[in-house]
Amino acid sequence: MSDSEFRRHGLRLLAAWAALIVLMLLSLGSAWLPLGLGNVVLGVAIAATKAGIVAALFMGLAREPALLRLVGGFALGTLLLLIGLSGIDYATRPAAPAAYQGSTR
Amino acid sequence: MNTQALPRPDEGFTARLGMWVFLASEVMFFGGIFVAYGYGRSHWPQGFAEAGRHTHVAIGTLNTALLLTSSAIVAFAAACARHPPARRWTARLLWLTASLGMAFVALKGVEYAKEWHEQLVPGAGFALATPGAQLFYMLYFFATGLHALHLAIGIGLVGALAWGSGRRRAWADGEAVEMSALYWHFVDIVWIFLYPLIYLLGRHA
Repeated sequence: MSDSEFRRHGLRLLAAWAALIVLMLLSLGSAWLPLGLGNVVLGVAIAATKAGIVAALFMGLAREPALLRLVGGFALGTLLLLIGLSGIDYATRPAAPAAYQGSTR
Repeated sequence: MNTQALPRPDEGFTARLGMWVFLASEVMFFGGIFVAYGYGRSHWPQGFAEAGRHTHVAIGTLNTALLLTSSAIVAFAAACARHPPARRWTARLLWLTASLGMAFVALKGVEYAKEWHEQLVPGAGFALATPGAQLFYMLYFFATGLHALHLAIGIGLVGALAWGSGRRRAWADGEAVEMSALYWHFVDIVWIFLYPLIYLLGRHA
């Protein structure tokens, strides 16, 4: 890495950090807006954007060979698949909470 | 077969591949917690919202900022370790990263103590009556405890590398710093998702 490349990389990291802090504050502020389900959607969407910045720039996935990006993508894909499959079970099964859990609504 | 003709992966590629595969397994490990949270929040929306309002959002936000900053610093430390003219900064940046991690754990301890006094620890005499609130705090302590354990391992790794790097030990080379940095970033990403799910629900009600 040449000196100028090193400096550019440092500035990229600084810009990524600033973007992460701004996104964190946006996420914090949005929690007080009465958006209903939109609150959790926005919160998770901002979190996903922040995670993308960390993975791409801090973890260097943006400049890694395809094999490493595939490993990252495969992990994410498997996670979403498992969450989806678990969701099908829990969303379609009637909730029968135990006495100590109280009613679900 | 002429293996000379195949492109050679760059230096440290195998180590990075191994670390990414390990982190992929960690994603599955933490994934179960998020599924449990989704189930609880969709089945006990009022209880989760009320419990969320009782979390300490100022401490949670400060901790998020600390962790994001530590991630940026460890990424810069990894870059310095690979760039000979800047290598002398590596140890100092790694010490700073570990210190920010320790500040996070200390603040988490303050938060746990507050929750203990506010009777928000699940069990007899739990403060909130709304069904589901206790389940939220069970998940909260499990998720944040597991995250803190991972962070403690990260602090140990980064601290050891800071010590070794400052003394120019061969084992504390650029590759080792890069691997620890990848792990640190992963722990940061887990917190990035925990933050809105724990601290930001039920705020506008």
